[in-house]
Amino acid sequence: MYRVALGSALALSIALAANAQAGNPFGDLKSHASSSKSTAVTYLFPEQVTVPADKPSAVDLHFNIASGLHINSHFPHTDDLIPTTLKLPEDSGVRLARANFPDGVDFALPVNPKEKLSVYTGEFTVHAELVAARGEHLVEATLRYQACDNNACMPPHSIPVVIDVIGK
Amino acid sequence: MKRNVLVVGIVVIVLGMLSLAGWANWQNRKQAAAALRAQQSQAILVPASNDDPAHMSSPLVGKKAPGFTLTNLKGQKVSLADYKGKAVQLNFWATWCAPCKIETPWLIDLEKQYAPKGFEILAVSFDDLDKDDPKLLAKDKAEIVHGADALHIGYPVLIDGDSISKAYGDVEVFPTSFFVDRSGTIVAATMGLTSKDDLEGNIRKALGEGN
Repeated sequence: MYRVALGSALALSIALAANAQAGNPFGDLKSHASSSKSTAVTYLFPEQVTVPADKPSAVDLHFNIASGLHINSHFPHTDDLIPTTLKLPEDSGVRLARANFPDGVDFALPVNPKEKLSVYTGEFTVHAELVAARGEHLVEATLRYQACDNNACMPPHSIPVVIDVIGK
Repeated sequence: MKRNVLVVGIVVIVLGMLSLAGWANWQNRKQAAAALRAQQSQAILVPASNDDPAHMSSPLVGKKAPGFTLTNLKGQKVSLADYKGKAVQLNFWATWCAPCKIETPWLIDLEKQYAPKGFEILAVSFDDLDKDDPKLLAKDKAEIVHGADALHIGYPVLIDGDSISKAYGDVEVFPTSFFVDRSGTIVAATMGLTSKDDLEGNIRKALGEGN
């Protein structure tokens, strides 16, 4: 159990500790972590969208979660868990009219199979509705999430979601 | 006629170059996608580490536990030095950490069992604190109190773990525990959920009873 947990925790670090620094108390985790620049969640696409100006337009945003990890869905089963959320900066020329997140998948930690968490794993898509002013806008949205594996969790983290939105 | 041939030739060359550029661009994108996949594949769980004893310890093991002073949920200052002469488990956790919720009942039991021998647990919360906004800060603290109450934690819960994270090697995985013996030396460390037996073994080590 101890070995499994440590191995799992190690892997979580490898997956997530892109910003691991010297002095990591867990020995050569540091060397693994520094060799990995990956984060738990990666924004996949689109990089550019063209939408009718000033009209709500559906844009699907695709993300990938690193293997072996899960993140809370937008609708975690309990209030203390941190939901996955999407935000757009206010002055970007593009407004997020709506963000429809997929339902999470019920998941239980092996050591506590009775308690279900609502999570995303693998790839997931956020169905966003954007309203863009006329013109081209380089938008840096933010996806905030909190990732875990079967034995350990990382602090909540945000990644940039950069999209070139053209309103015509 | 010659001119037409020349124009057609130029058009063919331009089209050829465009095709080549398109193909090169496609190749680049394909390589970038492959690189991304390769990068993501690095995040796959790595079993090789499981049998390597180096991963089961920490460079901090055998060293003096870094001193600190934090605030408990009642607003009182608590220092590690206050626990001199006792075996202490520093349990780094957060209210949003699902594995921590599984571990906490084990810790509560173990603390009750070993407290008579001089064992104490200090839970150090890594929940975010909005220090610049008094209202949000009060809300943050209330949420930690609520989380600790919900788990029936009776041992001290300290806040602002982030402020001592660096001293303990930039803790970024939860739960993480350091086991400190009566002389203030870290004798064991665990990262992630282990088992009640493992925790007990480390507590006994901190008390000078185990290996």
